[in-house]
Amino acid sequence: MENNAHNHMAEWKRSSVFIGAPTNLIAAATAFIPVLWLCGTYDCWPDWNIVLTAWGMTAASFGAFYIVEPISYYAALGMSGTYLSFLSGNIGNMRVPVAALALDSTNSQPGTLQAEIASTMAICGSIITNLFFTTLAAIVGTAVVAALPEFIVSALTKYAAAAIFGGTFGNFALHYPIVAVFALLVPLGIHMYFTTIPAWLLIIISVFGSMAFARLLYVMKGKN
Amino acid sequence: MKDYLEIANSGTVWMLCAVTVAIAFLQAVLYMIMAKRTAIKANIPNEVVSKSFRIGLITAIGPALGVFIVMVGLMTAIGGPMAWTRLSIIGAAPTELTAATYGAKAAGVELGGEGYTMTVMAVSWFAMALNGAGWLVVTGLFTPMLENLREKMSGGDPKWLIALSGACSLGIFGYLNHGNIMAGHGHAVAAISGALSMMFLVKCIVPKFPKLMEYSLGLAMLFGMFCAVIMETLG
Repeated sequence: MENNAHNHMAEWKRSSVFIGAPTNLIAAATAFIPVLWLCGTYDCWPDWNIVLTAWGMTAASFGAFYIVEPISYYAALGMSGTYLSFLSGNIGNMRVPVAALALDSTNSQPGTLQAEIASTMAICGSIITNLFFTTLAAIVGTAVVAALPEFIVSALTKYAAAAIFGGTFGNFALHYPIVAVFALLVPLGIHMYFTTIPAWLLIIISVFGSMAFARLLYVMKGKN
Repeated sequence: MKDYLEIANSGTVWMLCAVTVAIAFLQAVLYMIMAKRTAIKANIPNEVVSKSFRIGLITAIGPALGVFIVMVGLMTAIGGPMAWTRLSIIGAAPTELTAATYGAKAAGVELGGEGYTMTVMAVSWFAMALNGAGWLVVTGLFTPMLENLREKMSGGDPKWLIALSGACSLGIFGYLNHGNIMAGHGHAVAAISGALSMMFLVKCIVPKFPKLMEYSLGLAMLFGMFCAVIMETLG
């Protein structure tokens, strides 16, 4: 039985890479199709030095996140969850919260095959919802937003993410109250003292600091 | 000279942008098929599969409505099809607007301003595609290495792996919440009331009505948003 579960997990991981690696790489390439068509059709190829400058500017702003985010989010998303989340985006406000809630609601322990299946299904469900609403926005968005009362627009654009961040944190805090206090106070404290700290560095400190602190508690608990 | 937006909204661009959206959809469908098949093979109850899917579908409605509204704003800046693709894959509206603006700035003009020609729009489009490719290429190539890293960090101890995953999520959301708490006003109210209402629901209501668990985060989000709007109206 144990061996069987091990085999299923190994196969799951193999298939995850088999689906995820090519789709993420192909999507990176297909995202260039519209701009290549634009330049080819209207003969408006820009100066490559300008493109390189623009690329350099975006890489300076976001380049660190290309590496920091997949590493920092991995233990929360798992393997298939990482492929799915970094293709479809909206990681903090949709993918991690639904994956965590699915594990909780189905009593699945992280690291097990059941947890991988639960988080994968929840993330896929959230991707379907997201694609539905972006496609709807493309079709009727302008008319709908014009008809909505101002307070609903403001609530959804400004506060939906903040409220879901808070809710997800609250649920984890019930399970790990001491780590929760640490995880919230560390970025708050550091940001107050070092106001210019770059965001990518603060994410690393928050995530790996919380893991190190949890390890400390875990080892101390084991000794008692 | 606004004809660059006319081209950005043309039928051909919609079709070309649909390719990338279709790949995101296809990937999700392939993973769902794989999850269902694996669940049957490994004797994992179908309820885990269907309940988890429902949770994803329903809980994402709130944040997806937020994306819906933001996208309408983005459509006026970069055209409908581009906004659709960029918000269907990695990269949120601020990231895309930044990349598009850098494209214009590199060419020495403002996004959508005087001198924003089709050639400059091409720079903006290149900048967005190159930026998004950063995350896609890193995860496309190195995800198996991350799995090895997690295995090393957990040291084969399943109990510690559970605590490690929890600490990782707390680190992520501690970071994300700290920004809103420091922003104060509505943002802080939304985060704190969202957290407290979730704790109340899970601790006091869900034990009596276990079915509510899958809606708990959606309810907490609505309550957090409600409190923030009240605060905004009063303050």
